[in-house]
Amino acid sequence: MTSAQPFLQVLASGLAMGLIYALIAVGLSLIFGLMDVVNFAHGEFLMLAMYATFGLFFETALDPIVLAPLVVAIMFVLGISVYAGVVRYAMRAKTNPGMVQIFATFGLAILIQGLAQYFFTPDYRSIPNTWLGGKTLNLGGVFLPWPQIYGGAISLATFLGLYLLISRTDFGKALEATREDQGAVALVGIDRNRIFALGWGLGAALVGLAGAVLAIFYYIHPNVGGTFALVAYVTVALGGFGSIFGALVAGIIVGVVEALTTLILPPALKSVGIFTLYLGVLFIRPSGLLGRL
Amino acid sequence: MRVIDRREVFLSAAALSLIGARAFAQSGAEVPVGVIYPLSGANAQIGVDARHALETAADIVNKSFDLDLPTAKNAGLAGLGGAKIKLIFADHQGDPQKGRAEAERLITQDKVVAIVGAFHSSVSATASVTCERYGIPYVTADSSSPSLHKRGLKFFFRTTAHDEMFSIAMFEFLDAQRKAGRKIDTLGLFFEDTIFGTDSSNVQRKLAAERGYKVVVDIKYKSNSPSLTAEVQQIKTANPDVLLPSSYTTDAILLMKTMDELGYKPKNIVAQAAGFSDKAFFDAVGDKAVGLISRASFSLDMAQKRPSILKVNEMFKARAGRDLNDNTSRQLMAVLVLADAIDRARSTDGEKIRDALATTEIPGNRTIMPWKRVKFGADGQNVDADPVLIQYVGGQFVTVYPAAVAVAEPLWPMNT
Amino acid sequence: MTELTLSRAETKSVASSIAEMRRFEILKALAIFALVAALPIIVHDVYLQNVLILTLMFAALSQSWNILGGYCGQISLGNALYFGIGAYVTSMLFVGFSITPWLGLGLGGVLAAVLAVVLGYPCFRLKGHYFSIATIVIAEIGLLLVHNWDYAGAALGIQWPVGQDGWTTLQFARNKIPYFYLALGLFVVTWFVTFFIEGSRWGYWWRAVRDNPEAARSLGVEVFRSKIAAAAVSAFFTAVGGGFYAAFVGYIDPDSVMSFRFSLLFALPAVLGGIGTLWGPAVGAAVLIPLTEILRSYAGGSGNGLDLIIYGGLVMLVALAKPDGLLSLFQLMGRGRST
Repeated sequence: MTSAQPFLQVLASGLAMGLIYALIAVGLSLIFGLMDVVNFAHGEFLMLAMYATFGLFFETALDPIVLAPLVVAIMFVLGISVYAGVVRYAMRAKTNPGMVQIFATFGLAILIQGLAQYFFTPDYRSIPNTWLGGKTLNLGGVFLPWPQIYGGAISLATFLGLYLLISRTDFGKALEATREDQGAVALVGIDRNRIFALGWGLGAALVGLAGAVLAIFYYIHPNVGGTFALVAYVTVALGGFGSIFGALVAGIIVGVVEALTTLILPPALKSVGIFTLYLGVLFIRPSGLLGRL
Repeated sequence: MRVIDRREVFLSAAALSLIGARAFAQSGAEVPVGVIYPLSGANAQIGVDARHALETAADIVNKSFDLDLPTAKNAGLAGLGGAKIKLIFADHQGDPQKGRAEAERLITQDKVVAIVGAFHSSVSATASVTCERYGIPYVTADSSSPSLHKRGLKFFFRTTAHDEMFSIAMFEFLDAQRKAGRKIDTLGLFFEDTIFGTDSSNVQRKLAAERGYKVVVDIKYKSNSPSLTAEVQQIKTANPDVLLPSSYTTDAILLMKTMDELGYKPKNIVAQAAGFSDKAFFDAVGDKAVGLISRASFSLDMAQKRPSILKVNEMFKARAGRDLNDNTSRQLMAVLVLADAIDRARSTDGEKIRDALATTEIPGNRTIMPWKRVKFGADGQNVDADPVLIQYVGGQFVTVYPAAVAVAEPLWPMNT
Repeated sequence: MTELTLSRAETKSVASSIAEMRRFEILKALAIFALVAALPIIVHDVYLQNVLILTLMFAALSQSWNILGGYCGQISLGNALYFGIGAYVTSMLFVGFSITPWLGLGLGGVLAAVLAVVLGYPCFRLKGHYFSIATIVIAEIGLLLVHNWDYAGAALGIQWPVGQDGWTTLQFARNKIPYFYLALGLFVVTWFVTFFIEGSRWGYWWRAVRDNPEAARSLGVEVFRSKIAAAAVSAFFTAVGGGFYAAFVGYIDPDSVMSFRFSLLFALPAVLGGIGTLWGPAVGAAVLIPLTEILRSYAGGSGNGLDLIIYGGLVMLVALAKPDGLLSLFQLMGRGRST
């Protein structure tokens, strides 16, 4: 064991965790970029996806890796429903629609927490004996757990997929056009509502994928969303609201800085490192690393 | 007419109270007892479990059981003509303000005669002051901050040991291991940034210095962190002879998983209960925790010495679907201690129940706990609530310390 | 010529009718305050008094939030920082040095206002959600620092001593009525401050900026300064509220006064009632706080999350059914009458 080992270990773990943060955050950023809505129920979406993974695992005994597409599909439907049932109406506010949306999604978040407690009980759950659970890759003294390697890989693949989706498909072009100019798209025959609904579906599906990854190595309970929600908001704002690749870059920075902070400050203050960095960046670039004003 | 002499007043008061007592007996009236726990929010699981435990206790009081426990034998409270206790639950969500408001509501609206709570030490801090102001006893089953009984409150009682007593037991165990020739020089502290973690670590740091142990790693971490990798890396680098963690269930699970992922096998873990004795913890990471020692107020294997345990556990299990643990056993016992006091007070008056509590003397074998007895000091602390140390071996907990109640020798070290 | 005189006359009549409306508004407010002040005559139950106190306190705090958030359009979700400063300054001075909470309230307020000015310079450069998230993050840093500040009790918090009751210590044993009037007083003060700001130059500037972005540029510097001032006023009263809360509860710890939950609770009543309006925060608090408290008390004991389901559902429904705030109900009725 060399003296560099602890440093490398912290760096590697921070990188893996950062990729997962990016995956958690990108759905939030996507929805924001599309329609200027901050979804305060984002953490609860993550929690639901983790419960979905847990429930499906319990019913089918299939591995969470196999179940991930199913979880993503469920969350896609959920995202569209939330748009159609909640967000669409919240957008009607004449004064300060942003606040009303925060309010509506905040109510939704509490509602989802209550429902989770009602149906799943507040017990702590975790998925035992998965293919990757508890398995670790040893790279010369630097240990990387396979679930997190898998999470990092899924995250990178997802960002590649998103890039292709947005740059190569009609849907992606419609998304891009809608976020550029909501009024003009109506003229060229794009149904704004449909795009928004699909955007919410996609955003929820992305956080669903993150949930399916997290469920392998993290415990699950009705309040687990809160643990990741603040990190997700900071990641999105650091990268720039609406910027998908901003979320990737910011996620990695957050993960690595959070881990490295513990080498300087007491671990209880590790978030202070991220927060200070975030504020520093924002005061120099008020719209985040890759955001547009 | 206007002149009513003192004797008359006294007599009529006596008559009234007699009528009162008879009314209790005849209607099979209920004695309302307030209960405040976190029933929603991040610690809802604790509150929901507590509810099962406390209802089991109420059952023991209200029905007739052949158990050698206070108030168990006859149905209801004999001292109040067989009146039954009725638990009224309130949710404090872990917020001291809400706990205080709920205590006030229970006292003024539901006319509870005493309050049991609250898990969070912060909530016990405010709710007990409210009880003090209304002259109603506050019995905490599980809030373990040492500061609570040092505030000079008259109506505050704590049946359980506090964190100082727990930590002393842990260090006495370490001393005993040392005496037996085992090498224990270095300690690692790992604690969450809450009242519980802070209190626990403060005492441990002090005891370590007094008793000649070197603290080589001292980590305060943020509770409910998304990741503990960096923290575990520091423990791994220092590799103490004994790791002393103070964490709740969520972080305890994450700690064990992360240690395993980083290929770190701690030499020994002696945990400050909480998460480390929770069923969810063992369901999740039991295979990684073989040999883990935790301080405890309860152990199922004590049934040989405390015959009521098995029967009570069955009753609890029928409600909750799980065995009694460190928290639920203490919560259950607190209600029995309180019921015993109300029974002896023969009254629902707060002051009288308080006096009865102050003169409580229940021997250990009439409890389900490993305690010597229940007897409160002037500050309301049960001084004889001796904790035990239990070890997770072969899928269950075994009492390993102190010798008087130990069922087996400790497996030491945990990992070589 | 005629046009000019006409418009001058018009201006005059508009000005005088505005002045008249404002006089009427003051009378209306005084009547409402008097009615509220009479409430303890009929409300004897301490639990309900407790709910009233919280309602008034959150109405006052939401009104403070409204000064910056509603009128200036700077949506702060970090006011828990100022609330915590007030609570901690008041508690530390009283418990540590036996300095009366009254002084603590003032000092906490001033300290919070100074901090708001210092933070305002960099933060007001941020727009929209960037500003909001930055305020969350700053408050979160504050929470973490207090959580690890041993002198201030860190996680152990600060317990107020029991037994020294009276107006100098702001401790009243079982009596809730003094707290009720303190909370009402705080609300009345914040209401009048808002009222006068609304009628001042600042109020006109902010409205101009909100309605016309071009105007913003020409008024830029002045508006920036007035926003900083608004942030200071808002922070001051939020901290006073925090000091009041500490005295009221008698125990504080970092999570119970500085968590994000509070920042949201300061914004929600204003949004619910009607953002940027004089009575919005009060109407919102009058609906939201009793709902929260009563649901928890009477539906929360079961532990199955039913209270959260009803609470969350209702909050969501109100936001969707009345996106412009509950106050718009009254205004519609008023308008309906005048036409």
